[in-house]
Amino acid sequence: MPALPKAMVWDVIKTGMSARAEVKTPPRFKAGDRVVARNVNPVHHTRMPRYIRGKEGVIRSHHGGFAFADTRAHGEGDHPHHVYSVRFEARELWGAEASPRDAVYIDLWEPYIEPAK
Amino acid sequence: MNSIHDLGGMHGFGPVLREKDEPVFHADWERRTFSVVNLAMGAAQIHVDEIRHAIEKMPPAEYLVSPYYEHWIYGMEALLMAKGLVTREELDRRIAEIAKREAK
Amino acid sequence: MDKPPSRTEPPSSPALRIKALESLLVEKGLVDPAAVGELIDIFEKRVGPRNGAKVVAKAWADPSYRQRLLADGSKAIAELGFTGIQGEDMVVLENTPKVHNVVVCTLCSCYPWPTMGLPPNWYKAAPYRSRIVIEPRKVLAEFGIDVAPDVEVRVWDSNAEIRYMVLPQRPAGTDGWNEEKLAALVTRDSMIGTDIPKLKA
Repeated sequence: MPALPKAMVWDVIKTGMSARAEVKTPPRFKAGDRVVARNVNPVHHTRMPRYIRGKEGVIRSHHGGFAFADTRAHGEGDHPHHVYSVRFEARELWGAEASPRDAVYIDLWEPYIEPAK
Repeated sequence: MNSIHDLGGMHGFGPVLREKDEPVFHADWERRTFSVVNLAMGAAQIHVDEIRHAIEKMPPAEYLVSPYYEHWIYGMEALLMAKGLVTREELDRRIAEIAKREAK
Repeated sequence: MDKPPSRTEPPSSPALRIKALESLLVEKGLVDPAAVGELIDIFEKRVGPRNGAKVVAKAWADPSYRQRLLADGSKAIAELGFTGIQGEDMVVLENTPKVHNVVVCTLCSCYPWPTMGLPPNWYKAAPYRSRIVIEPRKVLAEFGIDVAPDVEVRVWDSNAEIRYMVLPQRPAGTDGWNEEKLAALVTRDSMIGTDIPKLKA
């Protein structure tokens, strides 16, 4: 692609490039569902940090469909998936010494999670 | 990948150090890096996920000690070389030329 | 594929490396030098946390805007024109007497540029990224915020492409203030969640 000229920079910045993308299948989860973050340790790019893997959380909301970072990082295409806001209790993540009240919220593409047992 | 960038929950990094009245950019090289990398990503049709992954592959000790925008330089150099848009030799030659010119 | 040189000597300074990269990319027609200056100017001078402060002030002054902002952050923020790169999909988090929200990107440095400009170094560095998810109250105390035991702390890790902004609580004693006066109370850190707007002494 040719160089972006000065005159177009502001418009490109203001437009941005949303990663939203249509997912052909319906969402698997809904608000209130209990899920577990899969314990996977890929060598490739992923946006699931280690501190949630194998931990149980609750779906707060469904954000919609987004291009999948894991494939886009490797030039393997967008492969859109549903993304959810998921709540993990501090004690679930960090143990009994953690605050009983606090929580971490994180955005997870559908392939990162399974229904909790 | 399970690399050094995945910092959530780690111990030992000490207090959060804040700079009073911190400027947006600390030096001219930071300004250039921010701008050139963004523009190059557009021109080379590089997704932000690609550059994040390139940065994740930095040697861990370098990742931790280098200033933030140096991560961007590392990532962009690696990606542009991988895509054949620049070569290591071209970069090294140009760095040497500029260093020589500035030493005068 | 080229590999980086083996580490027997340190790499050249970042200044040399970016100058070399820029000049090569300009020669190859991938980067326009005038565009380089323009993009710097946008984020150094034209886009910054004063944008977010206007959003917060409007939400404080106008209850129906507040409702719209919490229901659909992207749409409501777009009403004020603060759209664009790294802010295409926005969610605004309401601080209340019972809930304190704070935002991080543990994996890198994701941050809502159109409303808040570019993030400070502390947000992008290892201490904040590692500690805020595991010991938020301790980190907030270092920022001067003592969260009461009956208040819930919610830490939002911006690991995907949704970008988060905190809507801090409106300080008492600001009844009848216009939006400009309200906006002046809104600090950058209060929209990250590491500060609380207060009336100046």
